[in-house]
Amino acid sequence: MTRRETTLLGVRHAVLVMISLVMLTPFYWVLKTSLTGENIYAYPPSLLPVRPHLFNYVDVWYLIPFPRYLLNSVIVSAIAVSGNVVLNAIAGYALTLPFPGRRAMIVLLLSCTLIPFQATIIPAYLITAHLGLLNSYLGLALPLMSTIVCIFIFKASFEAVPRSLIDAARIDGLGDVRILLRVLLPLSTSAIATNVVLAFIWSWNNFLWPLIITRDADMQTLPLGLARFLSYMEDTTGALYAFVVMVLAPGLLVFLMAQSSFMRGLTAGATKG
Amino acid sequence: MNVRRTRQAALVACFLTPSLLIFLLYRILPLAWNVVLSFQAWSPLHPPTWVGWDNYDEMLNDDDVFWQALWNTLIFMGSQAIGAALALGIALLVNSDLKGASVYRTIVFLSYPLMTVAVAIIWRWMYNERGGLIDYVLRQLGIIHQPIAFLDSFSWALGSTIVANTWQVLGFFMIVLLTGLQNIPPHLYEAARVDGAPGWARFLRITLPMLRPSLFLCAVIGILNSFAAFDLVYVMTNGGPGHATELLITYIYKQAFGETRFDYAAALTVAQFMLLMALAWLAHRAAGGNAGAIE
Amino acid sequence: MRRRRFLAGTVATALARPAIAQTSKKITFLSWNIVDQAEMFKRWFAAFQAEHPGVEIEWLDKKGPDVPPFYQTQLAGGTPPDVVDLQGGIGIEYAAQGALLDLTPYLQAHPDVKARFNPDYLHNWVWEGKNWLVPFYIAKTLLFYNKTLFQKAGLAGPATSFDELLSHAAKIGSGGEDQTGFLTLNFDWLYWALFRMNDVELLSPDMKQPAFDTAKMVEVTEKLAKATAGTAINKISWTGRWVEPLGAFASGKVGMLNAHSSAYFFLKGQGAWINQDTLGVGELPGNWSVPSLHGYAISKGTKNPDLAWAFVDFCTTRKQVEEMAQSRRILTAYTDVDNALVARLEKEEPLAHAVLATQLEYTDKLCGNWPLPNDSRVKDAFYPELQNALLGRKDAKSALAEASRKVARELRRV
Repeated sequence: MTRRETTLLGVRHAVLVMISLVMLTPFYWVLKTSLTGENIYAYPPSLLPVRPHLFNYVDVWYLIPFPRYLLNSVIVSAIAVSGNVVLNAIAGYALTLPFPGRRAMIVLLLSCTLIPFQATIIPAYLITAHLGLLNSYLGLALPLMSTIVCIFIFKASFEAVPRSLIDAARIDGLGDVRILLRVLLPLSTSAIATNVVLAFIWSWNNFLWPLIITRDADMQTLPLGLARFLSYMEDTTGALYAFVVMVLAPGLLVFLMAQSSFMRGLTAGATKG
Repeated sequence: MNVRRTRQAALVACFLTPSLLIFLLYRILPLAWNVVLSFQAWSPLHPPTWVGWDNYDEMLNDDDVFWQALWNTLIFMGSQAIGAALALGIALLVNSDLKGASVYRTIVFLSYPLMTVAVAIIWRWMYNERGGLIDYVLRQLGIIHQPIAFLDSFSWALGSTIVANTWQVLGFFMIVLLTGLQNIPPHLYEAARVDGAPGWARFLRITLPMLRPSLFLCAVIGILNSFAAFDLVYVMTNGGPGHATELLITYIYKQAFGETRFDYAAALTVAQFMLLMALAWLAHRAAGGNAGAIE
Repeated sequence: MRRRRFLAGTVATALARPAIAQTSKKITFLSWNIVDQAEMFKRWFAAFQAEHPGVEIEWLDKKGPDVPPFYQTQLAGGTPPDVVDLQGGIGIEYAAQGALLDLTPYLQAHPDVKARFNPDYLHNWVWEGKNWLVPFYIAKTLLFYNKTLFQKAGLAGPATSFDELLSHAAKIGSGGEDQTGFLTLNFDWLYWALFRMNDVELLSPDMKQPAFDTAKMVEVTEKLAKATAGTAINKISWTGRWVEPLGAFASGKVGMLNAHSSAYFFLKGQGAWINQDTLGVGELPGNWSVPSLHGYAISKGTKNPDLAWAFVDFCTTRKQVEEMAQSRRILTAYTDVDNALVARLEKEEPLAHAVLATQLEYTDKLCGNWPLPNDSRVKDAFYPELQNALLGRKDAKSALAEASRKVARELRRV
């Protein structure tokens, strides 16, 4: 590499490192606050934890039924994610096929994204009640079992597959469903991974819907637990931040485990074209 | 041929129905409920009465909070565009076979899987005048001498919440744009380089146009983010001070559940919906009019 | 379509909650953020069930801001919780919405129950001549003051008039070092005593008109604004929520704090300097205070009103009330229990005693607790404009005129 290229590369790395630090700082600050033994409201705050201890975490563990909430969140997210991948893939595929009203359907779907959940609370509750799904895992997952953004991600991914491959498959006599399963999906691992990650994030972090439709305390999900703790403890000690860490940890762990295939799926796309 | 067409049509119907059903139940019907309610006077004590445009009239002519919330929401949307631009910069930096690219990408995306309530708590703490990092750093650097209560300040509150939001969603924009960048055939760049086109020209002539579908997707995501910002604003400032950080989404929620004015909240929802339709349509045109498709 | 139904069928059977047997009676109790008392409530429920065999009690606890969406959706769905713990103005709002059961007949039929409560606190939830809630957790505003700062400024004790209060605040605020003289909480109507002590009224007696667009109100607002512009009144008074104002006082740099007794525990936890000799407790001039109360209400949609009443009766029986008062260190409006707790604290914790003693005094001078059917709307019409005036963003006269117009509009809507 030339000297100019090396310098540019160095600059690139430097900028990225700075960006990374900025992105990671809030994580660090909260972690530090949860571990520190100082009065967290004293000025100036120390940059490193002072007399670090884990008591805050112990407090939190005993305060709420963490495992149960965790289990609930896992089940609801599992339902939502599997529903999402299946429903979004088939809907995305349908949108790539020619049919009358396709344009209108796309507009309809996009307009659905413009409707915020907060405006739908009461009708959504009543509808779910009519379906008999209040206070159930399916009821918790149902509104999130298909998401429009992900449908379009699948659609875009399917449309990026070269026409030649699809035509060849049709000549071989494969029907539409088989084309989807044998040709398109295998080439859309990045879209699948994106779908899984996003559906997981959105269902895991959902707070308002579980609040409304769960009545039993042991059907509640993890975000509800955080919210209850927040009000009860307010910000008096590092315990609140220990709780934040504990609530975020499972989601982050799952993401980190999945992220390698998620990110790899992105680079796989570079071979297209 | 005809058989195939009908079979395909049946397939399309079959494949679209499950998703459509969910959207019908949880978005379209509720929207219809809102539209109807917006023309009524709702009261828990008696059936709703028809009042025509009254709610809209009040909203447009007699409600400064609405205009404040509208203005804040537009500013917020603008910040989404800036966030997307920043994300594009980062995406370009981590694109290609840079060593450690996957690590950088993961770090930038790490903030997105967090619960927005948690993000709000974290940033509220970062902005705290005594124990928070931001005031500490600013004072240490000598930029300010008195602590600034960012979230209590009429001038700083909105910007502060926007910073927190941008931090959270930067990764999401980056991922979408990265996927778009990966889908650009390298031979286009090769051809341009052979023709002697400089870097910025390659960017403007090849990258940006090929990114149009991804940019459109970013616009849609920006709208989703403004909804997700509900938790952020609610926990960080609750719309305050005054209504300096009030967004349409928080105002809708407060009218519905804080003041039990479901009819007015419905009118606000419809207004927000129209605004977002307009914005989405603009984005659609800017993306070349082929929303979500890659040619 | 098929796929979904299949999925719904299997999963629903496997995972949906089983229906409660219809033969037993069930009461749902919704509490407002008392999840830390789970053990105590379990004991209560067991005792209640012993007295009423075959009754099931479902306990739900939601934090404050979550109660409205939860309750409203339950109401919309026709399944409101039977007994609800509500705070402050929401009680009257829900009563005005027709969501609550009129408790007056029950109180009349059980005068012994009625006699338990401090009448002023019980009166807090009287609307249209009827009782809608019974209190179980009471707090009202008082004046906390930093004795060290007072000594430093050469002040003997709390002020006895509004102007004196402002001059005290100014003296302390001019002591340098980020000091400010006075801080108040601003949510609900907790600051209203400042206005009431100047004989300003918010509304006309029939509560149909705003009554604060007067020269006197403008004068008071201007004085407060002037004090806020300087260091006499801490600006967080008008913008902070809970943590910021209390944290500021706990940091030891503020001379006086107007807050309700619940703040005491937060302050003690945050402020290492706080002890009997350094924290003073008193009343605001005129002994005016704003209450912040929790009470039990019964939803009108309850299927078992008598059983719900029996539950409320049970929860406000001496034994239960004493337990709650002792474990949470709160006052309950049950006169005898409160007096006993305060007396006991006099020896055990003099400072807590001083704080809680104020809660039982001058209960005839409660203000800021109008039984408004649209309390939150009136608040939202009034406070932002007042805030503008107090922070110097608008002049007092035009801000109050605007507030008056908005409040009048809200009152017209009822």
